[in-house]
Amino acid sequence: MTADINALSDWRFEIDFEGLAWATFDRKDETTNTLSRRAMEELWAIVERVQQGAETKEARGLVIISAKETSFIAGADIREFESLDTVARVTEAVEQATAILDCIEKLPIPVVAAIHGYCLGGGLELAMACHYRIATRDEGTRIGLPEIKLGIFPGFNGTMRSIRLAGPVQAMQMMLTGAMLRPSVARAIGLVDELVPARPNLRWAARKAALQGRRSRSPSFGKRVQTLWPIRGFLVRKMRDKAAEKARPEHYPAPFALIELFERHGGSEMRMKAEETRAFAPLMVSETARNLRRVFRLSEAMKDLAPKGLFKPNRVHVIGAGTMGADIAAHCVMSGLEVSLQDLSEDALKRAETQARGHFSKRYKTRAEQEAASARLILDPKGEGVARADVVIEAIVERLEVKRALFKSLEERAKPTAVLATNTSSIPIEDIAKPMRDQGRLIGLHFFNPVPQLPLVEVVKGPDTRESEVEKGCAVVTAIGKFPLVTKSVPGFLVNRVLAPYMMGAMQRLESGVQRETLDEAARVFGMPVGPIELADQVGLDICKHVAEILGLATGDVEGSRLAKLVASGKLGKKSGEGFYVWKDGRPERQAPKEPWKAEELQALGEELVKPLIDECEKCVAERVVAGADMVDAGVIFGTGFAPFRGGPLHYRETKRASA
Amino acid sequence: MNGGAMRRVAVIGGVRIPFCRSNTLYADLSNLDMLTSALSGLVERYRLEDALIGEVTGGAVVTHSKDWNLAREAVIGTRLDPRTPGITMSQACGTSLQAAMGIAAKIAIREIESGIACGSDTTSDPPIVFGRKFAQRLVALQKAKGWSQRLGALKGFSLSELAPLPPNVAEPRTGLSMGSHCELMAQQFQIPRDEQDALAVESHRKAAAAYAEGFMDDLVVPCAGVYRDNNLRADIDPEKLKTLKTVFEKSERGTLTAANSTPLTDGASSVLLASEDWAKARGLKPLAYLAHAETAAIDFVSGEGLLMAPTIAVSRMLDRAGLKLQDFDFYEIHEAFAAQVLATLKAWEDPAYCRRVLGKDTPLGAIDRTRMNVKGSSLAVGHPFAATGGRVLGVLAKLLGAKGSGRGLISICTAGGMGVAAILEAG
Repeated sequence: MTADINALSDWRFEIDFEGLAWATFDRKDETTNTLSRRAMEELWAIVERVQQGAETKEARGLVIISAKETSFIAGADIREFESLDTVARVTEAVEQATAILDCIEKLPIPVVAAIHGYCLGGGLELAMACHYRIATRDEGTRIGLPEIKLGIFPGFNGTMRSIRLAGPVQAMQMMLTGAMLRPSVARAIGLVDELVPARPNLRWAARKAALQGRRSRSPSFGKRVQTLWPIRGFLVRKMRDKAAEKARPEHYPAPFALIELFERHGGSEMRMKAEETRAFAPLMVSETARNLRRVFRLSEAMKDLAPKGLFKPNRVHVIGAGTMGADIAAHCVMSGLEVSLQDLSEDALKRAETQARGHFSKRYKTRAEQEAASARLILDPKGEGVARADVVIEAIVERLEVKRALFKSLEERAKPTAVLATNTSSIPIEDIAKPMRDQGRLIGLHFFNPVPQLPLVEVVKGPDTRESEVEKGCAVVTAIGKFPLVTKSVPGFLVNRVLAPYMMGAMQRLESGVQRETLDEAARVFGMPVGPIELADQVGLDICKHVAEILGLATGDVEGSRLAKLVASGKLGKKSGEGFYVWKDGRPERQAPKEPWKAEELQALGEELVKPLIDECEKCVAERVVAGADMVDAGVIFGTGFAPFRGGPLHYRETKRASA
Repeated sequence: MNGGAMRRVAVIGGVRIPFCRSNTLYADLSNLDMLTSALSGLVERYRLEDALIGEVTGGAVVTHSKDWNLAREAVIGTRLDPRTPGITMSQACGTSLQAAMGIAAKIAIREIESGIACGSDTTSDPPIVFGRKFAQRLVALQKAKGWSQRLGALKGFSLSELAPLPPNVAEPRTGLSMGSHCELMAQQFQIPRDEQDALAVESHRKAAAAYAEGFMDDLVVPCAGVYRDNNLRADIDPEKLKTLKTVFEKSERGTLTAANSTPLTDGASSVLLASEDWAKARGLKPLAYLAHAETAAIDFVSGEGLLMAPTIAVSRMLDRAGLKLQDFDFYEIHEAFAAQVLATLKAWEDPAYCRRVLGKDTPLGAIDRTRMNVKGSSLAVGHPFAATGGRVLGVLAKLLGAKGSGRGLISICTAGGMGVAAILEAG
């Protein structure tokens, strides 16, 4: 089972002339270090060798360090998870790993983890089993236990060790949110013992710490006492309330299982370790976890759509300072780019600037960062930024003639290498490109409202659009931290096209007398983040109506429908303060249902509500709107928030069919 | 040295980070941070990852004692081959130009094939030290053995010794600040305030136009989220300049204001120089060639204008090169103060000055002002002392590269009454 210490593939091992043992993690043929089965077996061999070296006094200390530029250890190798498909197999794998970590912890010589880059999940669990942790202050160093995002919690005894080092308040919060901490924060809460400025310092700081036998300071009395009743009980109640605000236990069991683990066993390290393993395995093989892993893989696949290193945008020019344009501009600024924002109206520009500064002051803590962000947003009424921009994004009125004229002139003024993109949601790319000299140049970059929250951007490819421009478009999207989805230029593209029948279906039920609150609750029971009626109000009823029209969907009895009436009377939803709901402080005023539905009735209604959405997804696959069923699922999850734990609409239908 | 004829020295190009007024956007950065950013920008621009460079030479003027090996430390923080040497040196505001001159000489005589001249300065992270008396006391205290010696070391201690000494930008010999000296030059050469203000306005407008036309885009790499110099005012208002109070001479004789003097600035710059063979082997096209260089000093202690040394450096260099002052397509006259530039130009036209200081029977004459600082200069973008030479080299090389012919003159004044000058030629 253990590997041969003299023939390692993923690790390098040596004991140097000072008697320091160096275990350098450098996974073969991978750019990122993850803990695969082989890597664990080799680590086991290293630990045994060090054990032996410690006994013979050949080794005085052990340093665990990475040879990769951006990762210490980014976690377990998720690709191997699918083979762990039974509780027994998971338990066996986890017990092996925890045994190795226990061995490291018990080594009689100092063990130092030297961290640069991502130190996540199993990687942090390994680091926490070491006696002392040093991290670089590098911008790319991130420390955390993000397992919860994959429907599980730490399984290599990281629950116990993180609580021991950081105390239950900080550790549980980190595990429950899956937050990846900056090095200074990790140091402040006790996960890391020492920080060094940069990677060249790391090896030497680790050497010093190992030779001096440094150890983490034992946790403060305050932290220890928090694991004891009655404080633990009080903390647990608060955690549960907070978790319930974010997720339903029937959809996302992991956070609640983690809280229960701490509630019942948090007082004893031994029991916490044993029970963690027991509670971990069922979560790992659950459908939720499997589906969330699928979603993670899909997101990685989308990021891979952007070619690496070919095109790095620095300057963005946004035309149109309406809600969408302003939000796109602010988001680009917060991604570190310089943005010139153009609009005919000085008022619109000023409004956009004020709004953006509000975002900056929330996002950035230091005055210097805030001012730098403000300086990156250039109000550009004359459009002087076009000539220098690497990307031009148009977000003006949805009028073909205006857009055509604009792009014809942009083509002349922009750099030849610049990406030219329209944020249109309803006009075919090829129609806009028609008067352009180079019609293959135009792409769509279709953002979703609200821009800061929705991670998807549709990269729309017209029939003539060149592949190279699409790739550059994907690079722009990943450069601003979003997921690109390459979409054909069809009405509604992917996301609006599948959302429209879902929302219109719900509105028809509304016409036929079902209460709006019941409809929304049924969708949430299914796992949607917002119900369809609330969503319509959020999107804006005028836009809903417009999208339904271009898709040729009947909006009920067209003139007499409630949608048509609301739009006619200027009640456009959240933005105007009233639509189907009355909105106060950004929230809809819900009323208690007159006759409450039973749970199974709500569940059935939820399924019926999403049926038109899934039907439309199938059509999109058939029409190759995006590259395959997986991309449909990815687009719908990240573009609409469609229940991630269900693994995507098509995956959901397939699973249901298979089990029927 | 290694035999063979002297080689031409190519300027491949310069990259700098945006310059920021002291204690603004770079308030949290150190010289090492900024210099590393500038070098990394150069590495990325010219694909120097893993390249073994002959030497990286440069430094900072306002610097901490812990940064005694600044250039080498900055190299270690980049993706250059870690065996690239880094040489830390300084010559006040002439630092990075002087660094380039040293590198060029070594390339010319075949000692090295490539080099990076660089400089950084920050007045946001000043080295504040204890006074000499207290420092000596601390040393004695450390050496002391036993309580009686320790008490002895503390004898006569007064709390006033604890007052920290911030770095002083005044000239050590005269006790006058640079601005006060320049005010004296303005008086001596009779440079009126309105001419100084006009030069400042021109500088801002030209620099703003350079940004707008994209000229700066490949010369300036973003750093800490900053994309452009924050001293630059595209909408500078000449009327408002008139209302500013003078800062160095408060009486009605005063002419220097905050607008026609450079502000304290943070920033860093770097320039890649190489032999033609090396450039060719890496597929890099030289923008220009460093043809001549000269360093001079002036006897300001006896009363000459402190910042007038460039007049001497340029004059001597022209003689060696066999050129006239008018033989240039571009002039980069560093604007430490508007008055410094104007006094320099006036001195070159003044027969008495040229005879007395430069030993010339005929004055050097006037230059075509439309060729001077065509992309703006320090009054607009700011002046992080050691970084300015690198900035100027980058701008002038790019101008010559774009023009494809001709030559440009660089003149930089420094503290201590020194002047550094150089001539770049197109390929």
